[in-house]
Amino acid sequence: MAREEPDVEALNEAISSALVSNDEVKEGGGVQITCFSEVVNDVALHFQILRLPKQIYVWIGCDSAKLGRIYAAAPTRPKDMISVTSILGGASDNTGAGIARRLVLKTGLNIILACNIPKNSPMLEAEAEKMLVQKLIQLGYTRAKAEGSSS
Amino acid sequence: MDSSVPRFPVTYKSLSLDIKGNKTDVVLCSYDDHFLVIATQIGAMGTILHARKEEGVSIEPTFNVSAVFGKRDEPMLLACARQLIQHISISGSSRSLVISLGLKDHSAETLKGVVSAVIENRLW
Repeated sequence: MAREEPDVEALNEAISSALVSNDEVKEGGGVQITCFSEVVNDVALHFQILRLPKQIYVWIGCDSAKLGRIYAAAPTRPKDMISVTSILGGASDNTGAGIARRLVLKTGLNIILACNIPKNSPMLEAEAEKMLVQKLIQLGYTRAKAEGSSS
Repeated sequence: MDSSVPRFPVTYKSLSLDIKGNKTDVVLCSYDDHFLVIATQIGAMGTILHARKEEGVSIEPTFNVSAVFGKRDEPMLLACARQLIQHISISGSSRSLVISLGLKDHSAETLKGVVSAVIENRLW
């Protein structure tokens, strides 16, 4: 009996229509990869978001495709404070550490962030974070804010 | 106009395979100065290692492999990273490797499975 087939087809259609967007979204098993690029004041910002079941890896590229500095951030018990540490690239400047921290706040997940935005570019950093968060909300990776809370 | 939006510069590949009965997701990315490899069975990145080639005075290159996040001193993970950075070096690239391994077991068979899956799908 071909009873199962229409359901599968409907499901496939639903999935493929959800994935249609200007950005590239690839799904390989349990991993969803989203990549997109924007231009801000003549600077190209590239974003790569890798969604694993319990973690999110994000790369932010500023003009170049260098990996940059890597930070790990996670909520730590008992008070749900966020801890951030630099994994690679030194911690003399913290471009990206703040972004990593706030991503944990917004998603509730462990975050690994690789970022090559140059030092002393707070405007660029803020723009990048804004675009990234917008995309995360769009993808449904952020958790719902409690009503009445301020960020 | 589409031409004003730059092309995404990072090449990447993602695949899923079975190693010893465990579903393993592997992602490979090629950045300007690094290769990133993620192999996970646990839904998270796990231990992150950094492996780089050091050009010394002698003809043979030396490699520096260290765990930068997660379990330190896990010999099988270090061996896995070492094998891959050596492969990268032999293929002619002097880029460093960042590899994250979130595996359910650190048996030789699992690590061998990871190494061969990565080499088969390598970006170098």
